Amino acid sequence: MGTFIQLVVDGLATGSIYAALALAIVLVNQATGLINFAQGGMAVLSAYIAYAFTRLGLPLILAILIAVVVSFLIGAAIERFLIRRFEGGETDTAIVVTIGLLTLVTGISAVLWGYNNLAFPSLFPLTSVQILGAVVSVRSLATTVTIVAIMVVLQVLFLRTKLGLALRAVADNPASAAFSGLPVGRLLMVGWGLAATLGAIAGVLVAPQLTLTPGMLDTALVYALAAVILGGLSSPIGCVVAAWAIGVLENLAAVYAPLVGHDLKIAVPFVLIFVILVIRPQGLFGRKVVVRV
Amino acid sequence: MPAFSTVLENKSTRVILVAVVAVALIVAPLILPAFVNQTLVRVGVYAVAVLGLNIVMGYTGQVNLGQIFFVGLGAYVTAYGVNHDWNIIVVFLAACAIPGIVGLLVALAAARLGGLAIAMVTIALPIVGVPLAKRLDEFTGGSQGTSARFTDAPEWSGLYTDQWQFYIVLLVTATAFLLGRNLVRGKYGRAFGVVRENEAVAASMGISPYRTKVLAFTVASILGGASGFLYLAAVQYTSPETLSFGHSIALVIAMVVGGAGSIAGALIGGAYYVFVPQLTNAIDPSLTTISQGLILLAVLFLLPQGFVSLPRVIRRLARRRPARSTPPGNPPQNSPVHHPATEPAREGLEKTERQDRS
Repeated sequence: MGTFIQLVVDGLATGSIYAALALAIVLVNQATGLINFAQGGMAVLSAYIAYAFTRLGLPLILAILIAVVVSFLIGAAIERFLIRRFEGGETDTAIVVTIGLLTLVTGISAVLWGYNNLAFPSLFPLTSVQILGAVVSVRSLATTVTIVAIMVVLQVLFLRTKLGLALRAVADNPASAAFSGLPVGRLLMVGWGLAATLGAIAGVLVAPQLTLTPGMLDTALVYALAAVILGGLSSPIGCVVAAWAIGVLENLAAVYAPLVGHDLKIAVPFVLIFVILVIRPQGLFGRKVVVRV
Repeated sequence: MPAFSTVLENKSTRVILVAVVAVALIVAPLILPAFVNQTLVRVGVYAVAVLGLNIVMGYTGQVNLGQIFFVGLGAYVTAYGVNHDWNIIVVFLAACAIPGIVGLLVALAAARLGGLAIAMVTIALPIVGVPLAKRLDEFTGGSQGTSARFTDAPEWSGLYTDQWQFYIVLLVTATAFLLGRNLVRGKYGRAFGVVRENEAVAASMGISPYRTKVLAFTVASILGGASGFLYLAAVQYTSPETLSFGHSIALVIAMVVGGAGSIAGALIGGAYYVFVPQLTNAIDPSLTTISQGLILLAVLFLLPQGFVSLPRVIRRLARRRPARSTPPGNPPQNSPVHHPATEPAREGLEKTERQDRS
């Protein structure tokens, strides 16, 4: 029983990492209708920026705040000067552009800071507490709580604020949004900026645990995409729940199903996706998209 | 430029052109150095994989991030068959059929989904495929990989191995492209285009979007398997690394950079897949990631429709420039021939649709 609880708790902790990235992906998708493969790479870059400021002697929290602001600007700039050209065009091309962006951003991180693992200072104490016989580090507990807070903020942003409504309107139909007087270009920039901000938070939250490397979030990105599809692209709550489910199930399957084992545990979320999507194509929490002729 | 395109319209000159290209391709390996031959062979290998991807993604609009899985499967089947002394024709047929059947089974489930969901299902193929290939070491040789030599030039031919491989790859690649071209120009190609643009419209025309998607996916898998056969013919070795997710993404990149929804684009895509890593390594090996990202973004920024749209863009620029240089009021004198804004479609309705939107 102790092992079981430990596995669940660890699964929730890794699931939270996937969830943070998944939330950023949902944000970009809700704001621009795109899937941003570069989200992980951008988050890593933000973490490196925070790292650079701590090396300059700034306190950690200040460095993180600067990184968050800089990330917002970078995200907005990327939208304005790169992605803008591909909006309204082929989706395939736009996806490949974000893949190119991922390669470029990873390359930049690698050139500036190298491929060696760097120790990133943790925002939270490294002590751990006992809950129901499982050892839980305060760090992963705090990460999980932060993710939940962000999730709630996002849900409120999209469903309860004017900005959220405007962002969704622009993603849904840019032309109609422009006709109703929305500054489409600026809203797209804000959407990308916010997603980059969220990515930055995710990056600095997980960097202490994974140690900072340019490819730190590559695997997490795949899981995050899985969570996004599973939870439904339109639902922040859905994708967080899906990310946790993936983290927990994967851990349990690796230990309790000998056929799966640690090498094949990555298959678990995808088999799950396959089954769920075949039964429910719009995802667990997503709304069905109706296409007009 | 205009003279060139009218020459191309002429049927007899086109036949001559095709004959010249064919002769050039047959003579080329005998003259070129081994390194160039090997590079061209690899271009052919990946061009077939990109062609398959283009049929499902470029023509039918179904995002497929798992094409490399079928390439890897084809390569493993080939290795298994060769090492068990099957007839080479049987090996080739199996290398096409087994990935085709797997592709069909995946498509039967995945084609029910649209858009990004199908992307996620296909993303799973290489991600699950790599650990699976390591696990099934009886068939795959585990992480060590497996090798199979069957493309050493036979004695009677008097050729070097690289030349012999060139001819094998040329034969299969040329056949695949010919078949692919006929497919997308015919009835099914038009069905692909309609499903891509609007599934509801397709259904109202009596084209089943589901069946069309399954067909496109299966064809793509068969071509992936053929590409895997060629991969083993050229490299003579395969390992789980062959079907890694990164390579699958690289195929998608190659397809879009070459030109989605274009047969010639698939060939250019294969060349991009092989040449760009060589180029970036030559520039500075420590900067490969940055330079690959930069090249990709630069190409798409300048040519969002891929390299295949390059002649069109040049023609448009060439037409615009003289008009600009003449002062306002005077009609331009140096361009009496007026071309329509869009080129006639070369490969089905697909391309014109896209040009209208751009």
